[in-house]
Amino acid sequence: MKPKVAFFDFTSCEGCQLDALNLDGEEVIALISAVDIVNFREVKTKREDNYDIAFIEGSISRESEIPRLQKIRSQAKVLIALGACACIGGINCLKNHLPMEEALRIVYGKDAKYYDTIPARPINAVVPVDYYVRGCPPVTAELLKVVKALLLGKKPDIPNYPVCVECKMAGNICVFERGMTCLGPVARAGCSAICVTSGRRCWGCRGLVDDPNIDSEKDILKKYGLTVEQVVEKFKIYNTYAEVTK
Amino acid sequence: MQRHSVLIVDDEPIVRESIRDWLKDAGYQVATAESGEEALEMVEKQDFSVMVLDIRLPGKTGVEVLREVKAQRPWIKSIILTAYPSAETTEEVTRLGVVDYLVKPVAPDDLERVIREALESAGFEPTVTTKVEVRPKLPAVEVVEVKKAFVITKTSLKSMVESLAKAMEIVGVKSRHGKYVYDRITSFDELCLDYDVTVISPIKYLLPAKEPLLRFKIGDWSKVEPVIETIPRVIIGVHPYDIKAIELVDEAFIATNPDPNYIARRQNTIIIGVDCLNPSPKSFAPSMGTHLTEMGFDLLLTDIDTGYMVTVGTEKGADLLAKYAQVREPTGDEIAKQKRVRDEALAKYKLSLDAPKERLPRLLEESYDDPYWESKSKTCLSCGSCVMVCPTCFCFDVDDDVALSLKEGERFRHWDGCMLVDFAKVATGENFRYDKASRFRHRIYRKGKYILERYGRVGCVGCGRCAIACLAEIASPLEAFNAIAESARAKEGAKRITRVVKPGTELYTPQPAELINVTELTPREKVFEFRLKDGKNLGQRPGQFVEVSIMGIGEAPVSVSSSPTRNGTFQLAVRNVGNVTGALHALDKGATVGIRGPFGNGFPLETLEGKDVLLIAGGIGLFPLRSLVQYVLDRRSSFGKVILLFGAKSPAERLFLDELAALSKNPEIEFHETVDKGDESWKGNVGVITTLIPKVQIDPKKTMAVVVGPPIMYRFVIIELKKKGLPDENIIMSLERRMKCGVGKCGHCQINGVYVCQEGPVFTLAQLRNLREAV
Repeated sequence: MKPKVAFFDFTSCEGCQLDALNLDGEEVIALISAVDIVNFREVKTKREDNYDIAFIEGSISRESEIPRLQKIRSQAKVLIALGACACIGGINCLKNHLPMEEALRIVYGKDAKYYDTIPARPINAVVPVDYYVRGCPPVTAELLKVVKALLLGKKPDIPNYPVCVECKMAGNICVFERGMTCLGPVARAGCSAICVTSGRRCWGCRGLVDDPNIDSEKDILKKYGLTVEQVVEKFKIYNTYAEVTK
Repeated sequence: MQRHSVLIVDDEPIVRESIRDWLKDAGYQVATAESGEEALEMVEKQDFSVMVLDIRLPGKTGVEVLREVKAQRPWIKSIILTAYPSAETTEEVTRLGVVDYLVKPVAPDDLERVIREALESAGFEPTVTTKVEVRPKLPAVEVVEVKKAFVITKTSLKSMVESLAKAMEIVGVKSRHGKYVYDRITSFDELCLDYDVTVISPIKYLLPAKEPLLRFKIGDWSKVEPVIETIPRVIIGVHPYDIKAIELVDEAFIATNPDPNYIARRQNTIIIGVDCLNPSPKSFAPSMGTHLTEMGFDLLLTDIDTGYMVTVGTEKGADLLAKYAQVREPTGDEIAKQKRVRDEALAKYKLSLDAPKERLPRLLEESYDDPYWESKSKTCLSCGSCVMVCPTCFCFDVDDDVALSLKEGERFRHWDGCMLVDFAKVATGENFRYDKASRFRHRIYRKGKYILERYGRVGCVGCGRCAIACLAEIASPLEAFNAIAESARAKEGAKRITRVVKPGTELYTPQPAELINVTELTPREKVFEFRLKDGKNLGQRPGQFVEVSIMGIGEAPVSVSSSPTRNGTFQLAVRNVGNVTGALHALDKGATVGIRGPFGNGFPLETLEGKDVLLIAGGIGLFPLRSLVQYVLDRRSSFGKVILLFGAKSPAERLFLDELAALSKNPEIEFHETVDKGDESWKGNVGVITTLIPKVQIDPKKTMAVVVGPPIMYRFVIIELKKKGLPDENIIMSLERRMKCGVGKCGHCQINGVYVCQEGPVFTLAQLRNLREAV
């Protein structure tokens, strides 16, 4: 029996689900011959409530999302966080620095009273998570890696080392040597340093490594000309919830 | 610690006795036998390191003796010494795995050398050789008899490079964002020959960041094939320090357990070096003796303005010049000019080592507990940049990747490094280098001490790349070396421990083995019985381990739990803790797994025989120790008193219950057992394993203790054994580490300078006293 896979979205842009579709033809065929996708809003309208593996996209930012997520957890044998919002809270958590009423007012103006919101959080703040497919958006290869590992009954091997490792493997010139700053030294690898390789810098969208040397990274950012506020801003983009910005 | 014993089997007294005397003088223990029958009787009773065997013997022939010895004690290294060489016997004994085949008369020195090399090559011996032609010495590192230098004009160099580009890939140095990188060169004008240093070293063309080792179809063992992908390539513009780095990696990947992928690339690569005339401000190459080089290149260029002086390093280089270039003899002025530009370059280096590099091992030896490591590593990001850019960091990890069809896949290796947090972490969760300071120290010790002691070359070439890459500005080995240089005292020369192993291409290819029996020991532990599909015996020595492969999942080290004295199968007892062990636990009888090995040294049987033995196992430490327990019982008369102590956490975690019951009734062995915590069903001893030690009577002078258990147990067991008066030499332990490749290359299992998969996993306490990271 092929495992049944379902995708669910919470507070997010649904870009992760869209990106998951970025497979080439052969991969799509291989994927649907390996698993039954029963629930995937970006692809099909028919829905089924019987599934084994649930991919959760988005962070939790409303009370009503909590029981919905808990229900999915109780149904799924395996629950996987998909993308930065689900894994680490992501950019939705930027509002956590504000009082919730103010956040509502900024977004909805006079209609604010019709909405409710709570400080945004990653899904593991609500339910236990089995696996993480990180990134904004996730790397398709890693999504497949996790699916394959699940099918093989193996724990997927997700790096616990910084992006610098993959950046060096890619032969890149260090972002700092190019006159910019970067979160690569504390951000979790697994993306093949895609942003730096394409000429940009790392924002830490995959979260931080297990034991990041935050103090040292902050000192380095300051040494390369950033003010304390700018350093904090750097970390905030994706990693507000990790409380490294305090 | 241990003197190796040699058995000489020859019916001619004069041969027997003269060899005996030579070898005794050389420090070996020697026994002699005048017939095959006598030899077999002796081998039955006693273990030997090496057997020197005549072919024509009265009664059983040498070939027959060899066959029986191989079945009984497969690890004994056999050397044939015959006056009547023949093609048939050569073929037969080669198949039986002899180390060498010598024809009488033989010079004492030659025999001694062959024996020494045989002893050094303990461990892995590949059985199949195919495809890549492996030569022990590379043509690229051979030195031509007369080193000739010529002058080549820039125009002629350009046309040479362009001609070469038609035949092979050209890589060289390019400028990018004001820095330099090695990259593919499509036109000579892109090539930069005057640069300070590249971000990544040219080693990436010999050991790529990621490369496949095997390609496999899951479930079809005939489709598990080594992958060796290489193309002919010229690397142009390699600085001398990088050439020296390549020479070091050659030493690690060719001299010992030859690595087929590396060798194939090395043989397909032409190196055209260039003298570094404008060094990086972070470089200290002259202190490491690497700013110039006499060898290691095919051609070496020196920019002398009017053209290049080109030095020929190999015949391959000479051929290139003859074929593609127009060169002429240099004038006296040009030779002087070359010397002058080199001297000017030397004067540009700003950094230097405060002590001669030969003194580094001693300096480091004395600074192990220096607060420097702790304080300096505080800002370390564990980002791995230093090890990724280092030309002499060659450690790697191995993973399986499968296609989405789950039917086929690749086993590939990729760069890894000891500065990364999980590098020394094992499946059970233990991380043997968990803090920044110990990782930082390990890297510096590799650069200044361990590599030098192992390969005879300093592990740092002074290129300065790590110092440039390190954002925390702590990575430069020079800074570390100089910081500890003050305690400099005596001089210590390099000690070279290289081993000679027969070259083979299938270093990483597992052999299929059939699972013929599975027994559950506890819900977490099972014992698996295997038979190699080619019908051969595994040939393990008790205490050795194998690498078990489940294709698509990966490879993991597992110690062999059964004695070679028991039939043609072998058993692996395994706790379900990780990916591979989990997959193994899901297998049923009839399944096939891959096996590489046996690896490691195993328990020192020669030292144990004739002694009283005290065997101590804690928890799953019984798994490796069981092979020795079986061995001792099967050869009971070779040992004195035998005592086994076994401790489990609880009655539910006791292992091999039937066997424990049998042991408790066996008059040939004194057996005591305990559990840390009892329950209502348990009537035996309660307390940790150390509480059993005071209960046994041992004579410390003739007792050898063999201890296997979780890391925490060792410290307390040692205390108890020392109370019994046991000397350090008599306490033997088997250590757990992350033995990923099994062949002394990937670096994961290293304890200080020792590779556990090669020199271990069995050590005496006396040896471990010198290995600070060990217990």
